[in-house]
Amino acid sequence: MEKEILEHGLHFNRRRFLSNMSLGLGSVALGSLMIPNLLNGGDVDEAGFVPGVPHFAPKAKRVIYLFQNGAPSQLETFDFKPKLCEMMGMDLPPSVRGVQRLTGMTANQASFPLAPSFTNFKQYGQSGAWMSDLLPYTSKIADDICIIRSMFTEAINHDPALTFLQTGSQQGNRPSMGSWLSYGLGNENKNLPDFTVLLSRGIGNGQGVYSKLWANGFLDSIHQGVQFSKGEDPVLYLRDPEGMNRQERREMLDNLSELNQLSYDKFGDPEITAKVKQYEMAYRMQTAVPEVMDLSKEPDDIVKLYGPDCLVPGTFAANCLLARKLSENGVRFVQLYHQGWDQHGNLPFEITSQAKDVDQASAALVTDLKQRGLLDETLVIWGGEFGRTCYSQGTLTEKYYGRDHHPRCFSIWMAGGGIKPGMVYGETDELGYNVVKNPVHVHDFQATVLNQLGLNHEKLIFKHLGRRYRLTDISGKVVRDIIS
Amino acid sequence: MSQKIRQIVEQILIASNIFIVFLLLFENKWVVPVWLQSVGRMHPLLLHFPIVILLMAMAMEFFRFKTTYAANDFYRIFLNNLLLVGILSAALTVIMGLFLSQEPGYAGDVLQWHKWSGVGIVFLVSLIYWCRNSHWYKAPIAKTATVLASICVVLAGHFGATLTHGADFIAEPLTKSAPVSLENALVFANVIQPIFEQKCVRCHNSDKTKGELMLTTEQSILKGGKTGLFLVAGKPEISLFLQRIHLPTDDKKHMPPLGQAQLNPQEIALLSLWVKGNADFKKKVTDLPTNDSLRLLATTLFLPMLTEAYDFEAADDETIKKLNNEYRTIAPLARESPGLSVNFYNKNTYNAQNLAELSAIKTQVVSLNLAKMPITDAELKSLAIFENLQKLNLNFTNITGNGLKELINLKQLKSLSLSGNKLIFKDLQIQIKAFEQLKTVAIWNTTLRDSEIEQLQKESKNIQFIAGFKDDGRNPIQLNPPQLKNSSPIFGQSLAVQLSHPIRGVQIRYTTDGSEPDSLKSPLFNNQTTIYENTTIRTKAYKTGWFGSREATFGLYKSSYKPDSVALLTRLNDVHQAMGAATFFDRQLGTWEPNSTIWANNWAGVRNNDLVLVSTFKTPILLSSVALRIMEETGAGIFPPESVEIWAGANKNSAKLLTTIKPSVPTKSRPHWLYAVEGKFKPQSISYLKIVAKPLQKIPDWHYSKGNKALLLVDEMFLK
Repeated sequence: MEKEILEHGLHFNRRRFLSNMSLGLGSVALGSLMIPNLLNGGDVDEAGFVPGVPHFAPKAKRVIYLFQNGAPSQLETFDFKPKLCEMMGMDLPPSVRGVQRLTGMTANQASFPLAPSFTNFKQYGQSGAWMSDLLPYTSKIADDICIIRSMFTEAINHDPALTFLQTGSQQGNRPSMGSWLSYGLGNENKNLPDFTVLLSRGIGNGQGVYSKLWANGFLDSIHQGVQFSKGEDPVLYLRDPEGMNRQERREMLDNLSELNQLSYDKFGDPEITAKVKQYEMAYRMQTAVPEVMDLSKEPDDIVKLYGPDCLVPGTFAANCLLARKLSENGVRFVQLYHQGWDQHGNLPFEITSQAKDVDQASAALVTDLKQRGLLDETLVIWGGEFGRTCYSQGTLTEKYYGRDHHPRCFSIWMAGGGIKPGMVYGETDELGYNVVKNPVHVHDFQATVLNQLGLNHEKLIFKHLGRRYRLTDISGKVVRDIIS
Repeated sequence: MSQKIRQIVEQILIASNIFIVFLLLFENKWVVPVWLQSVGRMHPLLLHFPIVILLMAMAMEFFRFKTTYAANDFYRIFLNNLLLVGILSAALTVIMGLFLSQEPGYAGDVLQWHKWSGVGIVFLVSLIYWCRNSHWYKAPIAKTATVLASICVVLAGHFGATLTHGADFIAEPLTKSAPVSLENALVFANVIQPIFEQKCVRCHNSDKTKGELMLTTEQSILKGGKTGLFLVAGKPEISLFLQRIHLPTDDKKHMPPLGQAQLNPQEIALLSLWVKGNADFKKKVTDLPTNDSLRLLATTLFLPMLTEAYDFEAADDETIKKLNNEYRTIAPLARESPGLSVNFYNKNTYNAQNLAELSAIKTQVVSLNLAKMPITDAELKSLAIFENLQKLNLNFTNITGNGLKELINLKQLKSLSLSGNKLIFKDLQIQIKAFEQLKTVAIWNTTLRDSEIEQLQKESKNIQFIAGFKDDGRNPIQLNPPQLKNSSPIFGQSLAVQLSHPIRGVQIRYTTDGSEPDSLKSPLFNNQTTIYENTTIRTKAYKTGWFGSREATFGLYKSSYKPDSVALLTRLNDVHQAMGAATFFDRQLGTWEPNSTIWANNWAGVRNNDLVLVSTFKTPILLSSVALRIMEETGAGIFPPESVEIWAGANKNSAKLLTTIKPSVPTKSRPHWLYAVEGKFKPQSISYLKIVAKPLQKIPDWHYSKGNKALLLVDEMFLK
């Protein structure tokens, strides 16, 4: 017995301790070999995500999203339904409608008379894509775009649907798609923001857009969308105060940064250097922004290409031209909103002018990127937040009808950025109510966009309030069929 | 090792040798008891020891007769013991291996080779051990024997590995054929057949046709084997091969046999789904419906290579960091990719040095954007160092094409953008052919003529030349209308009209007499027009190569007086407050643009009460007309007022009713319309003015809102 006690005592010596320790340290070292960055801590989270670098080689480096706010009717643009002509005025069979909830605007309608498109369709391009006569310019680039006719969403009203498309959630407060990309991909041009927003509106029934759509949510505020306005000051508070010239500004910033450096040396707060950087970026933006916004040097061909309105600030055409310039200068995500697509009544009149507003410039943007060799690295997206009903809201005649909101199917197109050109994807039933082939959920669409930018939507995450968030929430799969 | 122990070990060795001979002689007669099966399965566990120990012992034996070693006692004793341990472990491994080989699933040539090479080692090395101290055993024999034994060890190891991992295990990554893309993939050839090849064909091929079953071709698969049909199309549950696959692994009929690489759950699912879908041999994966389980599963096999593999090393992180600055961004293409993408911005800060500094990362740059930088042909020489460059953007630089000859070493170049340059056709024609990998060349907005572009395209068929959009004048489009640039359309005494158009070289034609402007007769606007009275200017824009614009009409209003004080005596609608009383004389006109801020700011409205506005003048004015600019939008229930009373005088008490305006009530729905309703009276001197505007009390019967009160919206008032 004594011997055991003695042995036990001997086990507690320095050599024993160190040798045990070394074994422990050894296993930690081994573990660290197998889990890279285990001991680095810092900017790598559990999923191994490094903000600012794509997960894999991206097809697209930048996105231009031509958001058609208010929801353009797929039945007058990309989804040709000749059956509706035969069945004009007949009631939508309840079996087709199923359990779809309706908006308060048509829920009480006695009947749901099927409304054919007032405008004609023709086939264009190698793929033979059907497009309506409202889109004479878009039809010319049929071979450059991929039309998805089988998009569907969960929301039935503008704000939730728009918020859903932009942030992946119907309620607000999540980061917008552009903010996620800014977070995931980082800066390309250090003289301009990563994420910019341009607004325009047509004469059609408008729905509001709000700054929450380009908010950064829980991400760092540097990922917020910067709205460029049409006035003299495209970016607010960027101009030097009156009487201050560039040299004085420079000296002021230099002196200020010296003071900031002193205070940084004293307190070591990283926010101080961040602030200095922001001042410097604003200083550089003072020259970069006017250069980008200056449309006067654009060649005459460009004016003809985009249409004459491209020189009228605040129009969709001008915003498209600006979007190209911003994108060309390394802005990751340029978000356009064109309002006025909410055609509940008098659709034929309103949609004609809405389409005229956007058709030429949208097509021009694709052509312009292509002729600069930039289309392969720029993803262009065109589409609204949901579709419109195949039945009329209110009075139905051949030249007068309206369409209510419809989440079950809508059409968008994408071009460039590694998306297959000249393709039509997905199909709806012959009344244009339900998707029958290759449905694409909003989260699938978002996953695909992220994928094209080299980001795995399941790994682009941010931990907030104890939970990990993604743009695609907990679903979404990449639509591989449309990727070239 | 003491003499005693060594003797015991040697005895064991002899016993093992004999046991092995016994096992080999009666191979077909004995059966492995269950408890010994586990021992057999430890074969893969043990086999690595004899390999290493024996190789080491053989090496030492090889040099044993070298004088320095021969004299060394330690060398001698160590080698002897090493050899003994090695042989014993080899013998043990062979015994276990023989046990294992009795289990089902091990057969074939490779097994035989493995078995005999293994057994061969044991006997050969035993022989060496027993003879190595004989007098005839000298260096040459030792060397020959050890080399032979080593070869045996390597061969036995190789055959064993082939048994476990398959014949092509090592070379597999090298010999892998080009991956098939999803759209070209066939369900059978690219999804099902590879599973057979990996897991089944080893025993079911034309050389070795176990159970008379061959899984190499469509015919042989459909034919089946000894036991019957291989599969029943559409019926996975009664298909023989799936039944076999699903048998318990220790069942004798389980496939693939125990010990062989087994099918994983995904492969089993793919096979079952394929049979369920009628075991088609022709279909493409993409022919299946998108929600088809087989398609969904199969699609995951064809995910594209996520990141292009480069065969160069990544650049040093610190170097990249150092080279990054505000006007030159350097970023990796992706995580773990050594490729870099470099962008230059701001031509004012650019100089040739910026480019030269990149020599530290010249191998890694695969994408370079120099658009708008002042690069000349001569400077292109400095790009030649980027040997792995794939994408080069030289849009809107100063090159002519001749300098491209400096770039011919860029063998990887796939995409070249030359738009916006003054290219010389001859130079481009000669240089461009040197680039073998080149896929696209953007040459929009260059000095090249259409015919020249055609010729380029004809001469280099592999390259896609992107000519882009060029206005040939054959498809004129309509101009947009002119704009009025005056800060306000309301003026006091006179107004120098400022019309403008955003497009260069546009002619603006206008009329002030109410007639429609045209491109020939109407006067050309030249910034010399001044007006003195209310005027409606009708304008159109014209330019050659364009259709004339739509008409733009601008109402210019004279308002001679501005009151010194204005006050509202009644309330405005909550949502149509505009700027309150100040709205009416702020010289800002409202426009028709629902939901816009302009709409909200400039239109003041009433519905349930009159609009009563009182204004005073410090010095009396000579007034002869009062006009209200209103909005009519019957669709939204916005109508002209029922009546407007104009009261005026020297002061509040002496004010008299001068006139009552009674605008006509619309008789049918019409588009929105903005216009002024005016009341004229004899000129008189006044200091006090009261305007009482009464909204339409009863909307007419044709309207959906008939009988209700209408909304009245006013944005401005004009006093003359």
